[in-house]
Amino acid sequence: MARRAHLAAGFRRVLLAELRQIGARPGLMFMLAPFPLLLFVLLAAVFQLGLPRELPITVVDQDRSTLSRQMVRIVDATPEVAVTREEGTLSEGRQRLLSGEAYAVVLIPPRTERDVLAGRRPEVVLFYNNQYMTPGSLVARGVGGALGTMAAGISIEARVARGADVESATQSVAPVPVRQSALFNPSLEYVQFLLAAVMPTVLQIFIGASAALSFSRDRQGVAGLGKSLRLGGTLLKTTAGKMAPYTLAYLLVLWGADALLFGPMGARFGGSLAFHVAYGVAFVLASQMLGAAAALIARDTVSALAAVGVITGPAFGFTGITFPRLSMNGFSDIWADLLPVTHYLELRTDNILRGAPLDISMPAFGWLLSLALAYGGVTLLLLWLHGRPRSSVAKAVAR
Amino acid sequence: MIAAFLREIAVAIQAIWNDKGARSTMLGATLFFSVFFPQPYLSEVVRDMPVAVIDQDGSTLSRELIRRIDAADAVAVTRYAADMPSARKLFLTRQIYGIIVVPPQFERDLLAGRAAPIAAFSDGGYFLLNSVMSSALSNAARSLGAEVQVGRLTASGVDMAQAMAIVEPLRVTTVPLFNPTGGYASFVLPAVFVLILQQTLLMGIGNLKAGRRSAGGLSTFADAIVYVALYSLWAGVVLVLLPWVYRLPRIGDVVVMYAVAVPFLAAVTAMGFAVARLIPSKEGVIFFLVVLGMPLFFLSGVSWPAEAMPQFLRTVAFAIPSTTAVPALVRVNQMGAELRSVETTIFVQLALCLAYSMLAVAAERWKKKPST
Repeated sequence: MARRAHLAAGFRRVLLAELRQIGARPGLMFMLAPFPLLLFVLLAAVFQLGLPRELPITVVDQDRSTLSRQMVRIVDATPEVAVTREEGTLSEGRQRLLSGEAYAVVLIPPRTERDVLAGRRPEVVLFYNNQYMTPGSLVARGVGGALGTMAAGISIEARVARGADVESATQSVAPVPVRQSALFNPSLEYVQFLLAAVMPTVLQIFIGASAALSFSRDRQGVAGLGKSLRLGGTLLKTTAGKMAPYTLAYLLVLWGADALLFGPMGARFGGSLAFHVAYGVAFVLASQMLGAAAALIARDTVSALAAVGVITGPAFGFTGITFPRLSMNGFSDIWADLLPVTHYLELRTDNILRGAPLDISMPAFGWLLSLALAYGGVTLLLLWLHGRPRSSVAKAVAR
Repeated sequence: MIAAFLREIAVAIQAIWNDKGARSTMLGATLFFSVFFPQPYLSEVVRDMPVAVIDQDGSTLSRELIRRIDAADAVAVTRYAADMPSARKLFLTRQIYGIIVVPPQFERDLLAGRAAPIAAFSDGGYFLLNSVMSSALSNAARSLGAEVQVGRLTASGVDMAQAMAIVEPLRVTTVPLFNPTGGYASFVLPAVFVLILQQTLLMGIGNLKAGRRSAGGLSTFADAIVYVALYSLWAGVVLVLLPWVYRLPRIGDVVVMYAVAVPFLAAVTAMGFAVARLIPSKEGVIFFLVVLGMPLFFLSGVSWPAEAMPQFLRTVAFAIPSTTAVPALVRVNQMGAELRSVETTIFVQLALCLAYSMLAVAAERWKKKPST
């Protein structure tokens, strides 16, 4: 009983020492909660619309007929785009693309109306900027759909003129209609898609960096790691005591951001709350251990931070949220598995978006726990290695 | 005077080489990130995304439709599922990324001239997979539908040209420009490379200058010249050489590129001095920059349209060089924009350079006062 109380006291001593360290550094305190939440608000503002609307496009109407003007009206009426300009020539239209004032140019060539009436199948061309892929493909889908509707209308008229009834003419315009529905996130909102994924990725940087700073500071300090180890008594108590304030702070930030996402921002939560809490804790611990291990491997604080930056900074590309993991090369696939955030985002998708049964999420959850244990193991091992010689040196100095 | 200036230049170059942090960010990190960052995207497009089919018709035409879907580069029909629950199970375990249902009597309806709809379920949680599925599907459905229609019309005695004119009286052609294959690396990397230049340059200056006193105007000016010159070389590497190595489309004029890049790098350098004077610790500067990387990428408007952001945010974001420089350099390099299309950006960068220089000087003065 006394022994247990002693161990708990070790944990408490390290915890209090760490809290004092944090208290003495306003920059660190800012980094713990206000800064990540501020970034979340910034990102939420970036994606506030959920779906872009009224993206500017240009029309080059060389026909100037009733039909062409009707086309421009229909295109302008689609919610995704707004016809902000009309140009006389294609090269002027191209200039708008190059200066970034328009995402697409619709070219209606001369004699379009006449050729339609004569059955010569004229061609309307939609040029869109695919270098800016997100707005480009949104514009292409919107304008393409509007022009398709227009062509379908003409086709129906032609069939009715040939004696078909409206009902069957309408059916024959789209003989194989595709009723596509998204199984999850049906409204295709970017808030659910990007914001919910970007926030944990940014947090992983914070969590890793704070752990790295905490261990590097001790290691570079006069007393070395030995002081913290003596305070804690055991390696595990020392690590737990040092990390606990950060674990708590970042869990609160993680869940605070979720509270905003699922509360005021109206994202749907479709899964198990208990499981969400469980993998959230595992994610924070794994990211902390990653940062701690990096700090103990690196030579100084700046290198430790740089190492964490190199590992966690470009992580988003590896998570497979934007570009899917199934198309990645072997290196990226392995690297992705070593990042806590990859598995955390997969678990989030499974649980919140898909409402998948828990057994399906077990492999990813196992990964996350294994990463926490593996990085934690490396941390403890290095702590043991570094702690011993340093503390004996410190003792020698004290003598 | 000139000799003194040249001496300062030599000192500035040596300072980069002698400071381990500066050497690893300004020389090492720039190269490392530009090789490491592209890795996930190098295959450019999704190929053979596995999908499952529930063929409830089992007819010649349903099989023909499935064959056409499978023929698309982007998807591969890998599973035939008996019913929705079993297909859903495959979906949840990520063995497939889409489900296609061909209902019974698909062939009969199609041949009778009635609409024969098919259902498709894709994943709204992954946008790229979702759009891959929808384009593969609509192409297959449209081509099969049009063929059956034309066949029916010609069978009823209409000549081919007229049948085509009825089925498709107005041809709508969509032409993707600048990134014709829709490659993901081609889309992301040109923008990311510019951001890597900015972030590593800022980190390097932070490493060298954070918490240190200015060594005088001439020395600071020499430092700035060295940083801009070094990063102009890097700009050539990451914006011209690397796109060539990774086979990304690049059609821009190198002269125009430098007309934007040099003012941009000057603005970043000035900002670096200002940030280093305002945030006194090296660790603070580096951390701040690592964390801001991703938000700055989104603010540049390359992946998420600037038009969809609140006006207030767009105005504030103007203060960061990358916000306008990233799209401008992408327009020059990838879209072949001429000088007049990016003039505004050049002026914005020069203005930022001036503003940050003044801020850096002011911060220095303000710091000196309390101590004297």
